[in-house]
Amino acid sequence: MEKVCRDWAKQAFGEGLVDAKYWDEFATNAQTAAAEVYKVKDFAAGEAKLKELLAQYAPKEIIAVGGEENPALHDIYERIGNDGTQIYTDKFDIYDHRDSADVGISTAEFCVAETGSLCVDNYSYEARVTSMLPFVNIVFVNANYIVKDVTVACQIIGKVFDKGYLGFVTGPSRTADIERVLSLGVHGPNKLLIIAVENVEGGR
Amino acid sequence: MAERNLKKEIQEKLQDDIMQSALSKFAEQYPGSRLNAYKDQDIEELRENLRQMKHDAVQHIDELADEFQASLEKRGTKVFRAKDGDEVKKILIDICKENNVKRVVKSKSMASEEIHMNECFTDNGIRVKETDLGEWMIALAGQRPSHMVMPAIHLNRYQCAKMFEKEVDHEVPGEDIPNMIQLARKTLRQEFLQADMGVTGANFGIAENGAIGLVTNEGNARLVTTLPRIHVVLIGYEKLIPKTEDAASILRLLPRNGTCQRMTSYMTMVDGPTKVIYKDENGRHVETDRKQYVILLDNGRLEAAKDPVLQQAFQCVRCASCLNVCPIWTLVGGHVYGHIYSGGIGAILTGLFHGVETFHEFSDLCIGCRKCASICPGKIPIPDLIDELRARYVKKYGAPGMDKTMFNMVLNDRGMFHKLLLKAGSIGSAPFKKGKFIRHLPLFMEELTKGRSLPTIAEESFRDRVERLSKKNPSKPKKRVAYFSGCNMDFVFADTSENVVKVLQSLDMEVVYPMEQACCGKPILGIGDREAGKETAKKNIAAFEKVQPDVIISACPTCTETLHETYMKLFENDPEWKARAAAFCSKVREFSSFVAEEYKKTGRLVHAKGGEKVTFHDSCHMKRGLGIYEEPRALIDATPGVELVEMHNCDKCCGMAGSFGMKYQEVSIPMLNEKVKNIQDTGATTAVVACPACMMQIGGGLDKAETGINTKHIADLLAEKL
Repeated sequence: MEKVCRDWAKQAFGEGLVDAKYWDEFATNAQTAAAEVYKVKDFAAGEAKLKELLAQYAPKEIIAVGGEENPALHDIYERIGNDGTQIYTDKFDIYDHRDSADVGISTAEFCVAETGSLCVDNYSYEARVTSMLPFVNIVFVNANYIVKDVTVACQIIGKVFDKGYLGFVTGPSRTADIERVLSLGVHGPNKLLIIAVENVEGGR
Repeated sequence: MAERNLKKEIQEKLQDDIMQSALSKFAEQYPGSRLNAYKDQDIEELRENLRQMKHDAVQHIDELADEFQASLEKRGTKVFRAKDGDEVKKILIDICKENNVKRVVKSKSMASEEIHMNECFTDNGIRVKETDLGEWMIALAGQRPSHMVMPAIHLNRYQCAKMFEKEVDHEVPGEDIPNMIQLARKTLRQEFLQADMGVTGANFGIAENGAIGLVTNEGNARLVTTLPRIHVVLIGYEKLIPKTEDAASILRLLPRNGTCQRMTSYMTMVDGPTKVIYKDENGRHVETDRKQYVILLDNGRLEAAKDPVLQQAFQCVRCASCLNVCPIWTLVGGHVYGHIYSGGIGAILTGLFHGVETFHEFSDLCIGCRKCASICPGKIPIPDLIDELRARYVKKYGAPGMDKTMFNMVLNDRGMFHKLLLKAGSIGSAPFKKGKFIRHLPLFMEELTKGRSLPTIAEESFRDRVERLSKKNPSKPKKRVAYFSGCNMDFVFADTSENVVKVLQSLDMEVVYPMEQACCGKPILGIGDREAGKETAKKNIAAFEKVQPDVIISACPTCTETLHETYMKLFENDPEWKARAAAFCSKVREFSSFVAEEYKKTGRLVHAKGGEKVTFHDSCHMKRGLGIYEEPRALIDATPGVELVEMHNCDKCCGMAGSFGMKYQEVSIPMLNEKVKNIQDTGATTAVVACPACMMQIGGGLDKAETGINTKHIADLLAEKL
């Protein structure tokens, strides 16, 4: 999958800029923005949480990205497929099912504590449609990668952003254009579910 | 263009109950929600940071544009520079023809509305759809947005449902908002999927890498920049910033001020052509770089960017918070501003992009209360820029005749005014009078007393009392104080002026009153006539030089601000008068802050035992113009027998605002009614003010509503307890 930066941790995160200690602030602000947040100790626990969420939303079709870069996710996607749910991970398959998939599974590079945002590297077309077109977006992120505020986030982005597409996602798609009543899911997902993994090496 | 009847348009909006209810609810909720979004943040530091960043950027606008263009071209984007809307439209049609574009989706772009972009698509048989829900509904109904961020705020759900019905062939129940949202999602999803080209604006453009930033909640801009195979960006030059990290200065304030969120749902940065997947004619998948075109729009921006005063407008990030706190906007809504951009910043941008003539059609709608300037993320002195544009209009076309004649005949010549009043004295003793108020005026003047009583003219003007009062000056004065009364305090509130003198004399001050003093000049400066303003200023400066005072005191904050600050700015190119003005201005003090300071020196500024409840109204010019609001409260606290209770929105404009309250009494009276209600809710028996114009308005409102609540100037309150 095409990305703005191949390895954000190595190339973009400077000394002391990301820290797990901002978790509580991030989680609170993400929830205020109507995201659901789950912290899990490793990918095994993440898989269990994912399956629990999928059972809840019972999707007919899933489109998913991030498996190419992350072997743990790759394996999880494969097991979901083996369990009998249609899951598409190839970019052209994702294109074909972009409008019919019920759930999109994607990844984020880091979290922003001040705003409860996820920084997403969306250079590729398939990453964008996966996170935007289905009604539910489930996002995997490393729970240790949290920056204090938007200023630090923009510093980090500034180090690696030479071309492409990235940004912040903060809660689901929303509007208040009718009588200023908050309504979710107007063009993008109406659910944003974040699975934050504490130990990305463990539990495989 | 046909001559507009602004008063008639205002009247219609005031009678639109749906809009009135939506706006008043919003105006009430916005300030608290905004502050909540800034919890734990140093707002002033963030504002200063943004101001500085945008200020520096605009100084280098040409270099930034060159760098931005070079960055994009290096990445494969085609960049155009358009002088005006017509050039943009020509470029767009060429792009459409070259790429065989039949369907276009757009995400919100004020710049595209500014140049009426959509016309060029429809004229050429190209289907174009707005995709922001509010903009989409408004466009279906052929209306114009009434707010930059909330385009449909003037409508209720049933009106919105009617708009939906124009697009879908069945009935849409207005009760069910979630259903309408899903209907919009379904309908617009097809537009996204089938579109050949996506058009966006940009919240910022980054010179170092050519990225543009898009801030949205619905996510429509992400779809517009993802699904179609062509992306066109229309961006004003003023949106350019140097580096990616500078975006943080905008992003930490724009969502908080705009929609009271720490961050909007989506903040997207697109840099150059990005990947797109589609199927070719043979049904084969193709992955390729999307074509990207960026159009830099001038339309008056580059000229304004070089103007040291007006360039401040480019510190704007289009959050529209100046509308949200504007006491006029929240009453009349956005449509009466008549153009694309409404509210305070709207007036300025209209002046810059569409000329001072269009600006002039609705420039009356700023009353200079400075509420907007106190919250603007880019710290734009909005009312000052409006004054500047008014002055430029007057320089080009002259001052409105009637206003100017009245000023020269009456306010600028106190002697003449005095004589006129003596002749007109019969009004004061007419049967319409009740106590110190006139509750009704006959015939054509009836309008003026519709929602407020007017004060009667003082039976003895202040200038006629000076000789008597001077006799009580202390024999060994601490200071020589020259009193500048202003028009109201000379002829209407002469008793209050007398109390000002008594309080000052109680502090061992000698009070002198230069008889040749004129009006401060604010009424004529307010309509933009700086030449007439200079003549008035010279008259006053000369009159006060003669009496050689240590201090010049005014008990009117508007006069004080004019004498203290505006006079300083009037004589930039006149060294002699600049020096004389500087000497004069440095001596000018506002009454309550001066008295509080002297009370403190003499140990009188201490808490006194309370009693009767009083409430204090902050005048706009006093609080936000002069920054004085603690001192009058300290004085009330030190006054025996009274106890301060704060009212809701104590610093919201009472609606008088100089002559505005008389000229647009239909807008002024609802503002006054709100103020009267807030005063009544405190249970106070007296409303204390420190401004004669507020005193006239609030006193008149409290009397007309027969509340039994008194209105006093702070000088009256202090003098009573001497």
